Amino acid sequence: MVKEIEKAGIPIVQMANLVPVAKTVGSNKIVPTISIPYPLGDPSTSKDEQWKLRYHRVGVALEALTTDVKEQTVFKVKI
Amino acid sequence: MKLELGNFYVKDITFGEKTSYSNGLLTINKEEALNVVKEDEHITVADLFIVKPGDNVRLVPVKEAIEPRARAEGGPVFPGVTGDLMQSGNGRTLALKDCSVLVVGKHWGGFQDGLIDMSGEGAKYTYYSQLKNIVLVADTDEEFEKREQQKKNKALRWAGMRLAEYIGSCVKDLEPEEIETFELEPITKRSDSINNLPSVVLVLQPQSQMEELGYNDLIYGWDSNRMLPTFMHPNEVLDGAIISGSFMPCSSKWATYDFQNFPMIKRLYEEHGKTLNFLGIIMSNLNVALDQKERAALLVAQMAKSLGADSAIVAEEGYGNPDADFIACIVALEDAGVKTIGLTNECTGRDGASQPLVTLDSKADAIVSCGDVSQLIELPPMETVLGELESLGRDGFAGGWAGDEILGPSVREDGSIIMENNSMFCGDQIVGWSTKTVKEF
Amino acid sequence: MKKAILYINQFFGQIGGEEKADFPPEIREGLVGPAMELQKRLEGDVEITHTIICGDNYIGSNTDKAIETILGFLEDKEFDIFFAGPAFRAGRYGSACGHIGKAVKDKFNVPVISSMNEENPGVEMFHKDLYIFKGGASAAAMRKDIRGMSDFAKKILNGEEFLSADEEGYYGRGIRRQVWLKTPVAAADRVIDMLLKKIQGEPFQTELPIPEKDMVPIAKPIKDLSKAKIAIVTSGGIVPVDNPDRIQSASATRWGKYNVANMDRLESGVFKTIHAGFDPAAANADPNVIVPLDAMRAYEKEGKIGKVHDYFYSTVGTGTTQGEAARMGREIVADLKEKNVDGVILVST
Repeated sequence: MVKEIEKAGIPIVQMANLVPVAKTVGSNKIVPTISIPYPLGDPSTSKDEQWKLRYHRVGVALEALTTDVKEQTVFKVKI
Repeated sequence: MKLELGNFYVKDITFGEKTSYSNGLLTINKEEALNVVKEDEHITVADLFIVKPGDNVRLVPVKEAIEPRARAEGGPVFPGVTGDLMQSGNGRTLALKDCSVLVVGKHWGGFQDGLIDMSGEGAKYTYYSQLKNIVLVADTDEEFEKREQQKKNKALRWAGMRLAEYIGSCVKDLEPEEIETFELEPITKRSDSINNLPSVVLVLQPQSQMEELGYNDLIYGWDSNRMLPTFMHPNEVLDGAIISGSFMPCSSKWATYDFQNFPMIKRLYEEHGKTLNFLGIIMSNLNVALDQKERAALLVAQMAKSLGADSAIVAEEGYGNPDADFIACIVALEDAGVKTIGLTNECTGRDGASQPLVTLDSKADAIVSCGDVSQLIELPPMETVLGELESLGRDGFAGGWAGDEILGPSVREDGSIIMENNSMFCGDQIVGWSTKTVKEF
Repeated sequence: MKKAILYINQFFGQIGGEEKADFPPEIREGLVGPAMELQKRLEGDVEITHTIICGDNYIGSNTDKAIETILGFLEDKEFDIFFAGPAFRAGRYGSACGHIGKAVKDKFNVPVISSMNEENPGVEMFHKDLYIFKGGASAAAMRKDIRGMSDFAKKILNGEEFLSADEEGYYGRGIRRQVWLKTPVAAADRVIDMLLKKIQGEPFQTELPIPEKDMVPIAKPIKDLSKAKIAIVTSGGIVPVDNPDRIQSASATRWGKYNVANMDRLESGVFKTIHAGFDPAAANADPNVIVPLDAMRAYEKEGKIGKVHDYFYSTVGTGTTQGEAARMGREIVADLKEKNVDGVILVST
């Protein structure tokens, strides 16, 4: 699915916990998430913490869409 | 550690006055057996059936299989689960061979449940069609999960274990027909002739993905989701230290019976001292988050290295997301210089053209493949269904569906079915029985 | 009697050599060139009714036109199987056999059999589309290669069970299926055998060869995010609670798009996940952990992005075939393009 969208020339970033899987399927831009069932907010943390994490990682993903990369890249996240 | 499995070969099973075993004939007092089942007040309805290879019987939803056993010196067959904790893998355990206790839901199935045909075309898809089976068909009052796709099946699975212990207890005072001995010297106390052989560890990744407790395989009663890889003696696995969970699509499942009879472990015992030095088992797990997968792989590789393993076999109880744990573990071992073989099944999709594992790595260059979960299987009706056939289509089986634009419903009006191998009960036999493989066409 | 048609090039069609490579497609009744040997091999089972001949350069420079013409020839013909070649190591011929073979298979849904040498580029291009048998380097292998093609054709037409690609002698089509080993060997025995060989440094054969990665070119980055329209796509199965598109919870073949134009976030009880591969509790309690609409809205308000697309797209990733995923991907792409979406965040589970 990622590849079909990228093939059409639309920039795409995959947010995924299983980075090796995303790499294997050929995603070019990858932003890590924290888990499979809750990629962008750990329910055992406070709503505020979840929001901060989600806001940060979505921000990294948006930046990734504007970044010119030459090869498969996993973008670094801070929280 | 020395385990003696005292075997009694069951040639026939019948209901009768007294639960007993004599000359290959296992007799079960049905009422007494059902009383054991009903010790748990959550069991609302229960009945017992005997099915044998060749019977025109379909079983669905099958939840668990257990070999009836007893400990000669007393104690629970499943320490920490059906009784107090005690060391398993040491001493004598008595086993009724060629038979199993099968647990079948009277109505409700789910993602993790499976199907068994005792005869016909469908029989070849599961190991359990060749056994004589004592089938418990029961229902429970676990209303909270009745209509959930994922079921813990707790009352039913525990009833199966109690029943297996009850039936097994009838040989408690008898002399076994055969004794299989499993003994490994402590690793640092082995003779030169053994130490000079290439050493091998078996790395097991039992099902442990569910973060909520109650669905995963248990190790001495402990939920395998809450553990890091640890070192175990193979005898512990053969002797009831692990029970199967209730989560994985069924063809990938390792039933409790599979753990009790683990053919890969027995095969390594055969090679021990001849071609290989079998060090033991690194009990790892399957996880949902990447850091958990990486942590487990790191620890497995470290342990293999610290134990001085020259080689390893990695086996996963699952497909899909668990493939990431499987491949990560193989890569970590190869990076540590441990020559590694993988043991798994595949999911190639309905068209067979999809990537066989969700993660791949060129370092995983030696894999034995036991089956393809997505293979479509069409089977004619069977005379008798134990359980409820409709569950296959209705209850969200991994390999069944209510309707499909092309294939129609899984369960047809005449009782014939179409399903994915995914829901064949322990169908891919990754524990080592499988004579299937996957080839390119 | 079953019927067959054969495609060959100008050389084997006895039109001429390089100087006749611009020969346009022609269909002839009966047998020309290699068709005779093929007919001999198929005797009694299959009748080759026609031979199609086309120049390699003609089809090379007028591919679409040549395909159209040849499909036109076939429209009123009855045939149960189609052959192309053998093409040996001839690259243009191999590619022509592949193009025609694939077009015939797609349009008429009949089995198509060809034969090429492993160095023929047609193999790489078309091995997933047709049965291409492993053939010799030159026409000296004609009889042998035709025999491979015809033996398999008889098997297909008689409804016999086929063996794997390696055993039959064609290049694997990338389709993997489970089989029972003819001589049963338990997996545990196969493991020990492979392990001992690997330890000793002897050659061994994995049962799951790792395919090479298939990458796509990286799309041009977005220049000005503050003017861009961004869409969220997920394979995490987030849908309105009544799952209006009946997306399956595993092996999905359906996807849905859901309007969020008037929402600041996805509310629990309005949206949920139907993905069967993980514990749904967290996503049901707060669907934004999979479809981060709330964070996207915040960036929209800040002006970091121009607009959040009015819809998000959803399906379930687990057990879905790559073929289905690619189809759904293409359908979603069509919608994204129509709505002028500039970039996509795909959240997977």
